[in-house]
Amino acid sequence: MKLFKIIICIKQVPMVSELPWNAKTGTLKRELAQGMMDPSSRRALEAALQIKEERAKQGGKTQITVLSMGPPMAAEILYQAKALGADIGVLLSDRRMAGADTFLTSFILAQFIKKQVPDVDLVLCGSQTSDSETGQVGPQLAGELSIPALGYASDIKLLGNFIRVQRHVDDFFEVLEMDLPGLVTIDQGAYTPRYTTLGGVQDAFGDTDIIRVDAKTLGLDENFNALKDSPTRILDVYSPTTQKENVVLKGAAKTVVDQLFDGYGKIISSAMGKDLKTHGHEEGI
Amino acid sequence: MDFNPCMKHQLIAKTVREFAENEIKPMVAELDREARFPHEIVERMKPLNFFGLQVPKRLGGAELDTISYAIVVEELSRVSAALGLCVTVHNSVGIYPILEFGTREQIERFVPAMAAGDSIGAFCLTEANAGSDAGGVETSARETDDGYVINGTKIFVTNGGVAGTILVFAVTEGKSRAANVFIVEKERPGFLVGEIEDLCGMRANPVSSLFFEDCKVPRENLLGKPGQGLKIGLKGLDTGRIGIAAQALGIAQAAYEDSVSYAKERQQFNKPISRFQTIQNYLAEMATNIDAGRLLLHRAAALKDKGVPFSAQASMAKLFCSETARNVTDMAVQIHGGYGYSKEYDVERYFRDAKVTQIYEGTSEVQRMVIARHILTQPS
Repeated sequence: MKLFKIIICIKQVPMVSELPWNAKTGTLKRELAQGMMDPSSRRALEAALQIKEERAKQGGKTQITVLSMGPPMAAEILYQAKALGADIGVLLSDRRMAGADTFLTSFILAQFIKKQVPDVDLVLCGSQTSDSETGQVGPQLAGELSIPALGYASDIKLLGNFIRVQRHVDDFFEVLEMDLPGLVTIDQGAYTPRYTTLGGVQDAFGDTDIIRVDAKTLGLDENFNALKDSPTRILDVYSPTTQKENVVLKGAAKTVVDQLFDGYGKIISSAMGKDLKTHGHEEGI
Repeated sequence: MDFNPCMKHQLIAKTVREFAENEIKPMVAELDREARFPHEIVERMKPLNFFGLQVPKRLGGAELDTISYAIVVEELSRVSAALGLCVTVHNSVGIYPILEFGTREQIERFVPAMAAGDSIGAFCLTEANAGSDAGGVETSARETDDGYVINGTKIFVTNGGVAGTILVFAVTEGKSRAANVFIVEKERPGFLVGEIEDLCGMRANPVSSLFFEDCKVPRENLLGKPGQGLKIGLKGLDTGRIGIAAQALGIAQAAYEDSVSYAKERQQFNKPISRFQTIQNYLAEMATNIDAGRLLLHRAAALKDKGVPFSAQASMAKLFCSETARNVTDMAVQIHGGYGYSKEYDVERYFRDAKVTQIYEGTSEVQRMVIARHILTQPS
């Protein structure tokens, strides 16, 4: 059996739910918070680890490479991925990559994959990260690599040179097959991640270090600057606040009931999933 | 000198914190209330190397450095002091003496099962008449043709109720009175576990008395050379003190974090109480002492890994961290006011758990003796 190569794209996200916003650069002040591996990325890694274990049962060898684009502190999640069982960790890091939007992030990740692992069999990503939640990098990366993509997978089965993927869409399960090489994004609820072992952490900082690649080594143009070159720009990120307005209906019971049905009947019906007017008559109310 | 934790130590902390917050935290109040040892949680801890923290890889351990070990114990204790205690005692005075003084055969026989968490370790020294005065130990080990027969009662044994591999400090009479450490497997006839103690804190840890009634052990179960008992005991305590300091620090850290978040939320006189100088003074005291304790602790751990003497520094760390735990948890209850006194909040449990860290593995008074002796025996 030939060596099966999986690349997982992971991202370091802040541990807090709200991060301060730098209005000048239009980016989040990431350096203020402790980082963690994005939960969706972690599930993608878990999927890869399970594929590796399944293949090993039949004597097959799998190489798992985790790839991330981020500042130097993002190296931590690559060590964590190694501690969990990834074979190789790669950090694409350069000042000129900072501020990249999803389009340029996908472009940069693709540059590495095309140059260093052109014979990749399967690329896995989380469906969406916990900080930006765009869900765009996976499909855009597949586009850059000119490979087919499937999103929101909850189960992947490797069958020779194609995969069978199950996903939960609306109220039903879909089962699809896709030729490899291909890209799959893993659904947020799928592949419960395993805990990291302490021995694994010790090993991750052992003999082989993670690989660090800067813009020049990656072959990016000398004028490349992600912040300036990004075709999209996030204008603002904020939590929406809701305001409640209370309405008090006054009067005799019949008046109030009439007001309730006339003014709010439609809203109540759609919330209940029943037509109030006809429903009432059927039951003789 | 770089005082920032390196990436490996940060990752160790996050790894343990994630497990503790998800798997242990939801159960802590119940475990404390029922004084129940969580076997089901221990099962989930085993494959993650919690029970073989510094054991070599080839024996199934994680082979961590001592600062990483201290971080593991601190993070565990931040969520459950009782489980942190179980892990540190098992690793520091259960496994470590065997690795350090055991024969190759003893190491191969005992350590793998302990590192896997399948056999929990305990060390029994304390008796009814021998606490700080270890010289008062009366448990005897009579030498016979093929081994030793142990008789005596040990009290306040941490992990006693669940231990599978027990290290016993006993005195062998003979031409000269000598202290020895014996490894006793719980299956040995003549070994009995007493009732679990009903304690103020650390209630999820099964602390109990252990009875040895004509308990026979083969010669191969004597740890180290005959008469080495005192040396093993002292060396074990040095290592154990680093673990207890870490445990006390974890309790203090938890109490401090809860106090900061409560002070920001609780409003009196139309403002959060964090705006009052008295509360700010408390928080500043807590943060400074916790930070200082951590530096003392990591310094002692680093010296141990360098292979240089570290007794005095371990005592300083244990003394300072346990006193800090007592002071910080006291302030934490005060900051929470009436709610701090209620079991609805965690701070009263931290307050109860903290006290014993000033007592076991050498009381604060004994620690001061050790430090003073170190000072006074230095050449001037």
